[in-house]
Amino acid sequence: MMKKWLMGLAALGLVGMLTGCGASKPVLNVYTWADYIKPELLTRFENEFKCRVVIDTFDSNEAMYAKLKAGATGYDIIMPSSYMVKTMYRQNMIQNLDHNKLPNIANVDPEYLKIAIDKKMEHSVPYMLTNTGLAYLGSKLGEVEPSWSMLDREDIKGHATMLNDMRETIGAALKYLGYSLNTTNEQELAEARDIVIRWKKNLAKFENEQYKTGLASGEFYLVHGYSGDILQVMEDNEDIVFAIPQEGISISCDDFVIPVDAKQVDLAHAFINFFHDPEVAAENTDFVWYLCPNKAAYPLMSEDIRNDPAIFIDPEIRARSEVIDDIGDALAIYTRMWDQIKAAE
Amino acid sequence: MNRSRLPLVTTLAVLLFFYLPILILVLNSFNASRFGSGWEGFTLDWYVRLFNERPVWMALRNTLIIAVTSTVSAMVLGTLAAFALHQFNSRLQRIHYSLIYTPLVVPDILMGMSLLVFFVAVGFKLGLMTIYLAHVTFCISYVAMVVLARLQDFDFSVIEASQDLGAGWWDTTWRILVPMLAPGIMAGGLLAFTLSIDDFVITFFVAGPGSTTLPIRIYSMIKHSRNMPIINALSTLLLVVTFLAVWSSQRLTKEKVR
Repeated sequence: MMKKWLMGLAALGLVGMLTGCGASKPVLNVYTWADYIKPELLTRFENEFKCRVVIDTFDSNEAMYAKLKAGATGYDIIMPSSYMVKTMYRQNMIQNLDHNKLPNIANVDPEYLKIAIDKKMEHSVPYMLTNTGLAYLGSKLGEVEPSWSMLDREDIKGHATMLNDMRETIGAALKYLGYSLNTTNEQELAEARDIVIRWKKNLAKFENEQYKTGLASGEFYLVHGYSGDILQVMEDNEDIVFAIPQEGISISCDDFVIPVDAKQVDLAHAFINFFHDPEVAAENTDFVWYLCPNKAAYPLMSEDIRNDPAIFIDPEIRARSEVIDDIGDALAIYTRMWDQIKAAE
Repeated sequence: MNRSRLPLVTTLAVLLFFYLPILILVLNSFNASRFGSGWEGFTLDWYVRLFNERPVWMALRNTLIIAVTSTVSAMVLGTLAAFALHQFNSRLQRIHYSLIYTPLVVPDILMGMSLLVFFVAVGFKLGLMTIYLAHVTFCISYVAMVVLARLQDFDFSVIEASQDLGAGWWDTTWRILVPMLAPGIMAGGLLAFTLSIDDFVITFFVAGPGSTTLPIRIYSMIKHSRNMPIINALSTLLLVVTFLAVWSSQRLTKEKVR
C-alpha cells in the first residue's frame, strides 16, 4: 500500500502547488459568463496594470447567488444581471463604487440609465445589454410591421413558440396592452393572461432552447427569443428576420459589481473603468455581439453592429422598453397567472 | 424451432439508443451549421477555433488534474475501506458502512452546498484543493462498493495458503491480495474517474477563483457564447482519446495473458 500512499501524497502536493502559485503579480478574480469578454482586451488590461486576470464562469444568476450566499469568496468582480444585482445589494453582498476611480462611466448612455434599475450607478455599472424580441421567416410571413400582434396571425398556427419564462412572456402581453412589464396591478395582469392564452392557441410550445434549431430548420415561422441567440441563428439561415415589436420589449443588462469582500478593490475599479474606455467598449461589443451602453463608443463600433436593429434598438422603441425588475411579493400573482396560462386549453 | 428475433432487435435498438447521439455529435463537429439543424457542409473550423481557445484548455487541464488525483486517492482509500468493511463485523463497521453508503444516495446539490458551508466554516480557501477533496469524498463510496462486491466472492483460502507457505503480511498483500482485487479496484477507479470528470453540481459549489472545470465552462457557454460547436469538437477529441486508451489497454492485457 505504501507506494499508492506516496502517489496519493505526491498528487496532493501537485494540487497544492497549483492552487498556491503565481504570488508575485496581483491577481484580479473575475466571476462572469463564458466567452463574454474579448480575450485580447483582457491581455491588454493585464499588461497595462501589471496583473493577472483569472476568469471563472457561472451558468445562472441563481446558482451564483446561492454559492456566494453560502459564503464562497475570492472574487473581485462579478457580472450578474441587473435584477440579481438588486437582490445582492439588498443583502449587503456588494459594495458602493467610488466614482472618482471611474472617470469613464461618464460615457455610459444616459438614455439607457433612464430605464436602468441602478440609475445612478451607485453599486453597479452596466456592461452589456441584451433584449428579447420576435424572429420570423421572411418567406412565410412576408413584409410585416414588427408588433406583438404578429402572434395573433392565423398562418403561423402550430409553427410559433414563446419563451418558457413567466416574466418574459407575460411581460410581452403587458407591453402589447401598453402596460408596464413590472406591473403589480392584478387587473392588468389578468388582461395580459387572457392575451397569452389567446396567443397560446397559435403556439407549438413554450420553449427556451429548441426554438433556435426549429427556426434555423424552418420548422417554426415565428419565435419569441433572446437577441443573442437569434443573431446566431441568423448566420445559419438568411431567411430569418429579427423584429423588435414597436410596443416595446424587455431589455436585460449584465452589470459589473464589486463584492464586499473583494481583495483588489482598486484593481476592480480600474477593470470597470477600462471596459468603459470608448475604444475598448467598441472593440468588445464587436466581439461579443451585444451592446455595451457606452455612448462615446457607439461611433467607433463596426457598421454591422450599428446597422443591426436587434442590437441598436430604435431610440423610440427603447424608450418604451423596460428592464425586468424585482417585484417582490407581487411575483405570486405572476406565478398564479402563469399557472392558469399553462393549464388553459 | 424458430428462434425469436426479439433479442437481436432489442440489442440493436439499445446500441442505437446509446451510440446514435454520439455519432450525431461527431458529425456535428464537422458541420458548418452552428445549430446542427441541417448539414451545411464539411468544415474543420471548429477544431481550429478550439485550438486557439485557451480558457477551454485551462478548464480541461483543471478537470483532468482533479479527475486523476481524486481517482487515485479514492482507489486507495476506497479499497482500504472495503477491506475493513469486509473483515470486521462490529457495530463500528456498520456505522462505517452507512457513512460510505450515504454519498451514493445524497443528492448532489445537498452535498455541494454542505461541503461549501463546511469549507467556508473552517476557513479553507476555495480552489482546486476543495474540488479535489469533494471529489474524493464521493468517489471513495463508488470504489468501496465495487471492491466490496469483489471481496465478497474472494477465496480467502488463497491467503491462508500463502501464509502457510511462509509469505509475510507484506508479500501476501502485494503478491496475492492486490493483484487478485485489481480488476475490482480498476473498475471502481474507472467509475470514479468518469464521475469526477463530468461532475457539475458539487464542483460548481466548491470551486474557487481559478479552478473552473470543463463542465462548469460548458454550462456557462450556453448563455452567451458564440462558440458552442467547439464543444462538439472537444468531445470528439476526448472520445478518440478514450477509445484509443481502452483499445490499447485491452491489447496490453491480452498480450500479458498469452
